[in-house]
Amino acid sequence: MLKTKNQSSNATWHLYSPALAKLELQGILNIHALQDCWRKIRNAQDEWLQLSATSQHLEIDASKVTYLDGAGVAFLIDVQHAQVKAQREIKIVGLAERFQPLLKQFEPIEKFFPKDTAPSNDGFIVSLGKTTANILEDAKLLITFIGRLLSDLVWAISNLEKVRWQDFVVAAVQAGIAAIPIIALVSFLIGVILAFQSAVGMRQFGAQSFVAPIVSLGIFRELGPLITAILLAGRSSAAFAAEIGTMKVNNEVDALTTAGLNPMRFLVIPRVLAGILVAPILTIFANLISVFAVCFTMTAYKIPFIASYNGLLNTIHLNDIFSGLLKSILFGIVISGVGCMRGMQTGTGAAAVGIATTRAVVSSIVMIVVVDGIFAYISTKTGF
Amino acid sequence: MSVLEVKDLTVGYGSNILSKNLNFQVKEGEIFVILGGSGCGKSSLLKNLFGLYQPIAGEIFIDGVDITKATGEELQEIMTHFGVMYQQGALFGSMSLIDNIKLMMQEYCTLDDDAITLIARCKLDLVGLLPYEHFMPNEISGGMQKRAAIARAMALDPKILFLDEPSAGLDPVTSAELDQTITDLSKNLGITFVIVTHELASIEAIADHIIMLDKASQSIIARGDPRQLKLESRDPRVRKFFNREMGNLK
Repeated sequence: MLKTKNQSSNATWHLYSPALAKLELQGILNIHALQDCWRKIRNAQDEWLQLSATSQHLEIDASKVTYLDGAGVAFLIDVQHAQVKAQREIKIVGLAERFQPLLKQFEPIEKFFPKDTAPSNDGFIVSLGKTTANILEDAKLLITFIGRLLSDLVWAISNLEKVRWQDFVVAAVQAGIAAIPIIALVSFLIGVILAFQSAVGMRQFGAQSFVAPIVSLGIFRELGPLITAILLAGRSSAAFAAEIGTMKVNNEVDALTTAGLNPMRFLVIPRVLAGILVAPILTIFANLISVFAVCFTMTAYKIPFIASYNGLLNTIHLNDIFSGLLKSILFGIVISGVGCMRGMQTGTGAAAVGIATTRAVVSSIVMIVVVDGIFAYISTKTGF
Repeated sequence: MSVLEVKDLTVGYGSNILSKNLNFQVKEGEIFVILGGSGCGKSSLLKNLFGLYQPIAGEIFIDGVDITKATGEELQEIMTHFGVMYQQGALFGSMSLIDNIKLMMQEYCTLDDDAITLIARCKLDLVGLLPYEHFMPNEISGGMQKRAAIARAMALDPKILFLDEPSAGLDPVTSAELDQTITDLSKNLGITFVIVTHELASIEAIADHIIMLDKASQSIIARGDPRQLKLESRDPRVRKFFNREMGNLK
């Protein structure tokens, strides 16, 4: 007679014949005790079930079980299910009376083994359609938000006394003054890098003295506003989205609505006004730091600071400065508006705030580039 | 036999003492309730009991190990003997219900994923949430979130479950269902429950033994069977609590 034994600490598998096996359980059957034996026993059972295609009987002797809990029952269910699936017989004997209700509580056991359903795999056309629908939906939300924002900005201009100026100051400090160190550092380094890189090329033509005017022109018209805007997008747009998003998750936005207060006017307008104010101020600051860095760097090429300064005074006109500043005002509206919009679109749960923040940064940067492109086209056509 | 023993415990934050010289034992398999008015330090005591906060003084023994002195592997080991359900459930919002439960087992067990999934399904079934296994926490109601949090707390088959205000914010029907779940788990699995609550209906329905904390005296002012205390206590503070009489808010 075939007789093998597979023993683990709390479970012993006795194989008497291809038709008969016995599982002997003892002691405490909890998750800690079952760690070593669960897989071994189930593997032994699967091997035994393949020995014969005819009737096979498994007896589980649970008379020595002293404690059984959720994991212990799960183990019994697993063994039982393997037998039932293979259409073989199983019998549990000797399980103490006090554990019977627990075992019965889990019946029928089939509910623990749901049939595998293959995840639906959308084809290319369906995915493309879904993505397009999402983009259109997003565009619709954006247009709606811009419309409401413009109407509320008009309201704010005609009702200046009703604007929440305290919130405006807090937002302006948060987005503006707190951003000064990082903008100073980045602007200075960009100025230094641009001056060095430009000087390498210009030196070949003996035109180092033109580096400061040309680079400064680029800074005033393009790089200053753009770098400031990108830094603000990463800092302030994300902060606005996280702040309003958290308020949305905590139902504070709903509380405003039910109190008859317009969340757009209460939360968005002060922040957008702060964005309109701080973006050009920070841009002026960034421009000055960058230009200083350029002039300073050119001294390494024996171009005196005053010579670079005079050169850029002759090259740069007020038009160039105002062009950059006008652009920075638009960037300010985009950054704060998009941050607030993504905050207002926050779903539920802590993860939603993170998603809103990420979307705020990405959308702000995309919108900055789009606005910059449109502005570049218009300024080329108008000569501004 | 006691599974949890507290000796001369003083609870508080820095110099702010909430309760002092607390002494009590929790017997195996009983539903032990800590109650008292708002601000008396119930939740702080609970957080001391399961080792989240360090007490100002005293000893807390779980299965004979003083968790106030345990460190490293010993503390890690003793932490697998109990589960905790926080007041708001504290389910991980980025994971489905079943993944919330599997997480603990994946960290502490060497079982394969099929076995872990089956155990997690059994835990969800115990609290009546098996059909919702793939739901995210924000897709289910507050009562269901609390039941799911109990299932997660049971992931490692703990001997003790600490529950912080399980019925708070729930409607009476959901609250009664949760009470029934706790009673069933205690009866069928022999789990010891240590619960902080001030829901009178829940206390009367499930508690085997209570201790009542008092903010003014910073101590335990009553202990025993809640039904008996409600009828027989002569302490006006206890009577006020059980009979929902008004106190002085100022």
